[in-house]
Amino acid sequence: MRHERMGQGLSLPMLLRRSLLHRRSRTLAELVSLTVSAAVATALLTLYASLDLKLHHQFRAFGANIVITSQNAGQPLPPDALAIARQAAGPDSRVAPFAYAIAQMQDGSSIVVAGTDLTGARAMDSWWQVSHWPENNQATPVQVLTGVRAAKALGAERFFLTYNGKSVPLQTAGTVRTGDAEDSRIYLPLDAFESWTGVTPTTLEVQAAGSTRQIQAVLESLRLALPNSHVQAVHQLVEAEANVISRTRSLMLSSLLLILLTVAICVLATLTASVLERRRDFAVMKALGATQRHVGLLFLLEAFVLAMVGLLCGYALGCGIAYLIGEWNFHTAIFPVWRIAPQVALLNLLVAVLAAAVPLRILRHLEPAMLLRGE
Amino acid sequence: MSVAATRPETIIELRDATREYRGHAGTVRALDSISLSVSRGEWLAIMGPSGSGKSTLVNLLGCLDRVDAGSVRIAGKDINTLSRKELDQFRAETVGFIFQQFHLIPYLSALENIMLAQYFHSMTDRKEAMAALERVGLGDRAGHLPSELSGGEQQRVCIARALINQPPVLLADEPTGNLDAANQQIVTGLLRSLNQLGHTILMVTHDPEMAQMADRIVELHHGRIVAEREVSLAPHTS
Repeated sequence: MRHERMGQGLSLPMLLRRSLLHRRSRTLAELVSLTVSAAVATALLTLYASLDLKLHHQFRAFGANIVITSQNAGQPLPPDALAIARQAAGPDSRVAPFAYAIAQMQDGSSIVVAGTDLTGARAMDSWWQVSHWPENNQATPVQVLTGVRAAKALGAERFFLTYNGKSVPLQTAGTVRTGDAEDSRIYLPLDAFESWTGVTPTTLEVQAAGSTRQIQAVLESLRLALPNSHVQAVHQLVEAEANVISRTRSLMLSSLLLILLTVAICVLATLTASVLERRRDFAVMKALGATQRHVGLLFLLEAFVLAMVGLLCGYALGCGIAYLIGEWNFHTAIFPVWRIAPQVALLNLLVAVLAAAVPLRILRHLEPAMLLRGE
Repeated sequence: MSVAATRPETIIELRDATREYRGHAGTVRALDSISLSVSRGEWLAIMGPSGSGKSTLVNLLGCLDRVDAGSVRIAGKDINTLSRKELDQFRAETVGFIFQQFHLIPYLSALENIMLAQYFHSMTDRKEAMAALERVGLGDRAGHLPSELSGGEQQRVCIARALINQPPVLLADEPTGNLDAANQQIVTGLLRSLNQLGHTILMVTHDPEMAQMADRIVELHHGRIVAEREVSLAPHTS
């Protein structure tokens, strides 16, 4: 160790290394501050970059955002409407047909029965609370999804319903609870519904993927493809989505700036303390002939090295934090977004440079003679 | 015997040097029209109570500050005409500092502390630095950190560091103020031999006994020179 200290000569890297290692606890404090800064920037920028996708994904769980009905209310849609809508909406969108009829229960009271593509409805309305989805469309009696209020009225899992004098045996495979009209309905596979009632779909529900602009494009495409149908967006949902995304983005950016400002102040305090602690060392260097540039460079390089190490550690940590936040909040992993790395590097350097401004000013105004005389 | 005694060439000349500091309470005149000449090879002791202007004078003589009025010439150069960069370079080449508190860089070994002065002057030369360390009797302490050296040893490293670039002027600020009697003697002996080799020494001290080692004593009070006297050669020949 002593032999190593004698070295062959002095160099800037050696001075930096010795200085950083000598003040281990201070170096660690500076490194932790800069790592936190990079981690916060990485996590928030990664979330920011993935926000659209994740929130769109979340909003998709709220069901359809476009509804297609006949121009004349209650009239069936053209037989090829479903195929046309699927083609026009594109592969990323989901389309589910709905046909409605009012049937009679065994006690003579009425109940709304809906025929749909249960697989499509399951994918589109993932927010429905369903105890068990019917899985076998060919089963006898027909497996149905019964609303919780309807199930209570029926009183049994196996029951008969009558429509236009034609009775069919049905069996509840599971119940659905939405807190809305669905709770009072019975959902059958569309084929079974059509062969029983002869009623074809009157409504197509479309869940378009993407941003508000992309949803608008799908809407226009559907209107062109189905000129004789009524195609309209579920405005509350689309607008709410746009608002939530916009506000969340603003919130995240403000949080990022506030956190970075706080971290910058912490780093500033640490670097200032570091300069104040070593002002005699710097004064000695000045007395030995070090220029202002020498001393400033030595200090800035220290801050730069710490910022870079902090950046590497913080980037890895931030990616991990973003991943966990994604898992906890969106139930999907958020992976590192490499394109934000330059922004994180820039922000971390900015924090280091801003935080180094005050210590540099202190260095510039060092009075070596006063300090070295202990005054 | 001092070189100044045989060839009184002026190396430092202050003419009506005035330095003022402006603060909230008003302007303080730290040095008030001081005129002083120091010959090459002379050993000058600067004395005076706190606030007398010693620090300001050290600043000026160490090329760490400039006068507001008057002039300071060191080795023939008016330091007020030098740019900041030129002044830094001039300081590295002309003045060697010896401090009361030693002020060695704590994370550099004795040898590296000496090489630091070379580093800021031009380039490091390990052999030369080692020779300087041996000259002050610390060749076997080269790899030791300041914390591993005694006060006297640290001061000797500080002297070796001050000498490494062979500056014509040594500025010693209470060089024995923090040392015990034995180390005081060693350091005093070193300074004396340096002076005999022709180095000009400007020494700030509160110690009248130490001041007696010099060729001349200058006393400051309220920023003015209030007394100036030659010292007999007797102490030099002991």
